[in-house]
Amino acid sequence: MNLQSKVLVIIPAYNEEGSIAAVIQRIRAVSEDLDVVVVNDGSRDNTVQVARAAGATAVIDLPFNLGIGGAMQTGYLYAHKNGYDIALQIDADGQHDPYDIPNVIAPIERGEVNFTVGSRWVEKTAYKSSLMRRVGMIFFSSLIKWVTKETCKDPTSGFRAADKNVIAMFADYYPVDYPEVEVLVHISRNGLKFREVAVEMSERQAGSSSITPLKSIYYMVKVGLAVLISATR
Amino acid sequence: MTVWNTPVIYLLSILFSLFFVLFVLSLVRRRRLREQYSIMWIVLGVIIVVVSLKSSWLILLANLLDVVYAPSLLFLIALLFCFAYLLHLTTVVSKLSDRVVKLTQELAIYQHDEQTHKVPQKQEGR
Repeated sequence: MNLQSKVLVIIPAYNEEGSIAAVIQRIRAVSEDLDVVVVNDGSRDNTVQVARAAGATAVIDLPFNLGIGGAMQTGYLYAHKNGYDIALQIDADGQHDPYDIPNVIAPIERGEVNFTVGSRWVEKTAYKSSLMRRVGMIFFSSLIKWVTKETCKDPTSGFRAADKNVIAMFADYYPVDYPEVEVLVHISRNGLKFREVAVEMSERQAGSSSITPLKSIYYMVKVGLAVLISATR
Repeated sequence: MTVWNTPVIYLLSILFSLFFVLFVLSLVRRRRLREQYSIMWIVLGVIIVVVSLKSSWLILLANLLDVVYAPSLLFLIALLFCFAYLLHLTTVVSKLSDRVVKLTQELAIYQHDEQTHKVPQKQEGR
């Protein structure tokens, strides 16, 4: 794959030494032109050393855990400071397939939209998810449809790409926790466009999901509130 | 119980609020509390001292508001003040958290740039 634009792949990582090397190597296999920044969010394992050894372009080591929003924003801040045209975010646990990266960034390279979300629902893919996750996604999809009038079937997906406008926006403001859904409303309210792109997703390869049943209730309440408030901005 | 025809609660109230105001002032003196945050506490303390000394004013206000037991009006004022001040404090905490996140990110990126020699190093020696 040859790239016209300067693309940065952002991988936020918290205790992901078991899966991050494979993710970085697969990204490298897709294209040598992709820069990879790993944002270590205060891991207690060897995520930093493993990421360096696997050939990450840069490893940014946060001195303590900021949470997913703070870690992700660090990546966007780095992209903004270093003048990248496109920033792509991908999970460190191996659930996203780097071979989809060209598909995820294509609509942005063509200048059609400002932001893309790699979704497992746009076309039939090989992904099976839990009931709670499905309920959450239906709730968030309806919320986004209602507030932005846009369709997003998988608004919690963390496989995303942003153009320069969105990178600058995220460098300035990014929600602290459970940012995925709120960010879409924020983009739409600022007159920018997003689109879903079909991707493959598999079960996570190592580590564990940070979402417990109690947290998922807090997740829905917090995001619901944040979305409604940002819709009034 | 009354002393010099004054309910004891008013005397306790005067003593407590005087002590409170002095304590706030000493915190400011020792730079343990910023002036900007101390003003509201001092104002509250002074209000309580005044209504405790001039309890007739409190009773007058209580009558105006149809409050049967005047000291309960004191509680209401203090409680509302606490709510307002707690809300103010949570906004201060939110602002501080945002700044800590921003500083942490800037520091981590700066350290990375320094390690990869993007930042010009200071010359050793003279």
